[in-house]
Amino acid sequence: MDDPVFWQTLRLTFEVSLVTTAILLLLGLPLGWVLAHKRFPGKRVLESMVLLPLTLPPTVLGFYLLLLLGQNGPIAQTFGFTWAFRFEGLVVGSVLFSLPFALNGYREAFRSLDLDLIQTARTLGAGWRRVWLEVILPITWPGILSGSILAFAHTLGEFGVVLMVGGSIPGKTQMVSIYIYDQVQALQFGRAAEASGVLLGVSFALVYLVRTLEDVWRLRMPSSTR
Amino acid sequence: MEIAYALEHPVKLRLRLRAEGLTVLLGESGVGKTSLLKALAGLIPASGQPFTGLRAEKRPVGYLPQHFALFPHLRAWQNVAFPLAHLPRPARRPKALDYLELMGIAELAERFPRQLSGGQQQRVALARALAREPQILLLDEPTSALDAATREEVFGGVLERLRGLQIPILAATHDQWLAQRAHRVAVLTRAGLAQEGSAEEVFGRPATLEVARLVGFRNLWEGTVLGLQKDRVRLETRLGPLQATRPDWARVGQRVWVGIRSEEVFTLDGRENCVRGRVRHLYSQGLRLRGELVVGEVGLDFLLPRYKQAQLGLAEGRELEVALEPRFLHLIPG
Repeated sequence: MDDPVFWQTLRLTFEVSLVTTAILLLLGLPLGWVLAHKRFPGKRVLESMVLLPLTLPPTVLGFYLLLLLGQNGPIAQTFGFTWAFRFEGLVVGSVLFSLPFALNGYREAFRSLDLDLIQTARTLGAGWRRVWLEVILPITWPGILSGSILAFAHTLGEFGVVLMVGGSIPGKTQMVSIYIYDQVQALQFGRAAEASGVLLGVSFALVYLVRTLEDVWRLRMPSSTR
Repeated sequence: MEIAYALEHPVKLRLRLRAEGLTVLLGESGVGKTSLLKALAGLIPASGQPFTGLRAEKRPVGYLPQHFALFPHLRAWQNVAFPLAHLPRPARRPKALDYLELMGIAELAERFPRQLSGGQQQRVALARALAREPQILLLDEPTSALDAATREEVFGGVLERLRGLQIPILAATHDQWLAQRAHRVAVLTRAGLAQEGSAEEVFGRPATLEVARLVGFRNLWEGTVLGLQKDRVRLETRLGPLQATRPDWARVGQRVWVGIRSEEVFTLDGRENCVRGRVRHLYSQGLRLRGELVVGEVGLDFLLPRYKQAQLGLAEGRELEVALEPRFLHLIPG
């Protein structure tokens, strides 16, 4: 804990995880809704694509992202900015990598929502805004929150993608998991143990929260899916 | 209220009917009853009058799906207050309580839906639908989610309360009991609207074989018109020669279907249309006795008060004579 770089790294890790979770919420809620309730051609392809990060080696995902976001990549050539080895690059990688975790939670939450509730709410005079704010979100929030927490926890411990896209620049793009690896490489087992302990504690707390939310969720749902 | 609607999806349906008092949309599942209600509520695309072009949230309808769709996270009164968002906040609760009172369940205001029985949930859902100040109530299978043993009592009470409100009710159902309480009945089949009229008309004089089966005619057999009298027709049927009330369309030589309700097969002696047969099945159904009388090759379903069993010594395999009263024989063009 005496290493100032550790605190910088921990802070960066939390920042990346928070921003990633926020973006996943904006991106994942509509996507989760579409996957839960809409049918369209190519749906299976889309579902497979968003699940791909679960099976793909993180280095492969990171490698493609590096090509895409790097100095000579298509983004740099078209728009003139480079996100590789920067905070933004870490976030893009994390969003893609944690998408399946968030999406699964959102989709299950939406899938178990009785669509009669939404239709009835509309016949009762509620426009889409009220339907979302007063019906969908209040009923599905435990599922949404648990999906978000899982995505957050998953981002905290990310290694391969952030190593490839971020390059592990201490204080700039180094995340805790890579810090631990570096400490072990440098035979600094004490520092590695401390950092590992922090991640273990945080992760357990988060997963415990998710389990609690699942129980809350189970208590709520019987009355609406009967 | 006059309704003229055309749907393409999920079923192709084009119909015109009048909703007044309690109007029942009778039909088997899959013929589009629910779809028609949803179309009227603006939940699936359709064209027609009324409400055409209005989005669901703008239509003055009270829509009740089969399981009532109460919001599980809101108390009963909050559910009822949901359509009252146009009122200032302090005015919503008293207004919601008024509607609960109207349905006779003001004391349940603080309960959550999971703490209510099926019948209570239905009343909350109705109070909520009424708070919308609808021009028509659309009820999807209103008796199906109720406990079978008490549903007539439970829904009968609901109907009493709704009667005073002067709001037409259109209820989709395949429940005979509900259909019999209706003012008007519209029978929907896969081919579309088969018959529409007063309950008495549809139940007493079904226009087609399919409608006859739907409204509870278990006995339907073929025959031919032999002769016409002033208000009677003489028929040759698979049950033997019979007389029936003369419908204005009947012609000599015409093929017809002859129908009679099980409960209108009487065991009277020495009257017209006597038919003799052998009792095949006999079993009690509630407080009545149901059986099948085999006459030639036709089985005649009957429903008798149970005291008849002792009186007539009814048993399977025994001979029995029944009388089919001419005015209860219903003819359908074949």
